[in-house]
Amino acid sequence: MPYVKAQKSKAYFKRFQVKFKRRREGKTDYRARNRLINQDKNKYNTPKYRFVARFTNKDIVAQIVHASISGDIVLAAAYAHELPRYGLEVGLTNYAAAYCVGLLLVRRTLKQLEMDADYEGNVEATGEDFTVEPAETRRPFRALLDVGLVKTTTGNRVFGVLKGALDGGIDIPHSEKRFAGFNKDSKQLDPEVHRKYIYGGHVAAYMRTLMEDEPEKYQSHFSEFIKRGIEPDNVEGMYQKVHAAIRANPEAKKLDKAPPKEHKRYNPKKLSYEERKAKLIDRLKALNSAAGADNDSDEED
Amino acid sequence: MPAGHGVRSRTRDSFSRPFRKKGYIPLTTYLRTYKIGDFVDVKVNGAVHKGMPHKFYHGRTGRVWNVTKRAIGVEVNKQVGNRIIRKRIHVRVEHVQPSRCAEEFKMRKVKNDQLKAEAKANGEIISTKRQPEGPKPGFMVEGATLETVTPIPYDVVNDLKGGY
Repeated sequence: MPYVKAQKSKAYFKRFQVKFKRRREGKTDYRARNRLINQDKNKYNTPKYRFVARFTNKDIVAQIVHASISGDIVLAAAYAHELPRYGLEVGLTNYAAAYCVGLLLVRRTLKQLEMDADYEGNVEATGEDFTVEPAETRRPFRALLDVGLVKTTTGNRVFGVLKGALDGGIDIPHSEKRFAGFNKDSKQLDPEVHRKYIYGGHVAAYMRTLMEDEPEKYQSHFSEFIKRGIEPDNVEGMYQKVHAAIRANPEAKKLDKAPPKEHKRYNPKKLSYEERKAKLIDRLKALNSAAGADNDSDEED
Repeated sequence: MPAGHGVRSRTRDSFSRPFRKKGYIPLTTYLRTYKIGDFVDVKVNGAVHKGMPHKFYHGRTGRVWNVTKRAIGVEVNKQVGNRIIRKRIHVRVEHVQPSRCAEEFKMRKVKNDQLKAEAKANGEIISTKRQPEGPKPGFMVEGATLETVTPIPYDVVNDLKGGY
């Protein structure tokens, strides 16, 4: 093998500074996090809430979080996999489902904080830009949108979650520029288009096109929809029912199983001084006996 | 060329970030809260250029007298000539750390209150004052053997090694 010059010497590793762990994992954008968390010092311990929206391949996670030195504290969370409880079983990561998750999370937090009577939000989703009006008794709950590492293009699903939250009744500073249906040329949001997306109109339209042009693809792609008998025309009605169910009972379901008595360990436990000494003695004994056995066998040979 | 006495002169090492700790600042610095009357250490963070104190204050400890949106007002003692002036500076939170100088005092306060409460419950009088360390108690020297040392007669030949 030809001589290959070593690229990374010992000196390289000695000087290497690792990035923060979550940056190495590619999960946290610290520049954005810094700006979201930083609270004015003359507001002392007032929490600054972030409205976190994250998408995985099959799920949506929405949380209301505030930061503390020992770790972030989650006030309330909502997942797309909870939506079957409210009657939505398919299409759990589309724009309409995102809207439902946002709505669910907000109704849940407002109920937790006992503000849900004051702040009904926008009951009938029209797709227009809706901002909460302050009620008489308390000011609206305020959170800041945290999208994570997503590219914030117009019509992104994180803004579906945002719209659900706004219609639920909390105050999140935003602009309508990135909602689905915003027209770049006229610089205006078309509420009709946005409403279509909120009620899964874009999904229904695709279903109709596939049914006409490529029936086999329709069968394979929308098999779960067909299994549950959801037709393109039913889609809007289904989502309206889900919205109503969410508003009726947003409470989180308590887990039935009890928390484990002992916390599960994910890394090996550190040994104490005596344990390490004992381990060393055992190892030396084993080595000595093995060496002794080898000597014996050599002598025999 | 002359030496130059700019604001940040002679700060090459003191303002530089420590080895392998360059780049992003951990977010705890921003999450800490400071109240008026707290003691803080001023330690400049070279990565943040805004709200830096003058190099004199690097390593000083002072009291907080003001809290603003992103910075803290610290009152530091500075000797000017034959007197000490209480200087009030404003410093961004990245250049400030909570000081542990008053920690021992606070813990002692809490413990003393506890002891006094217990003594009151028992009805006895105690003094919680700190006592300075006294002289060590007397002790007998153990395991001493006597060795008598006498001078040896002067030996001319041996002592003048190679010099004669």
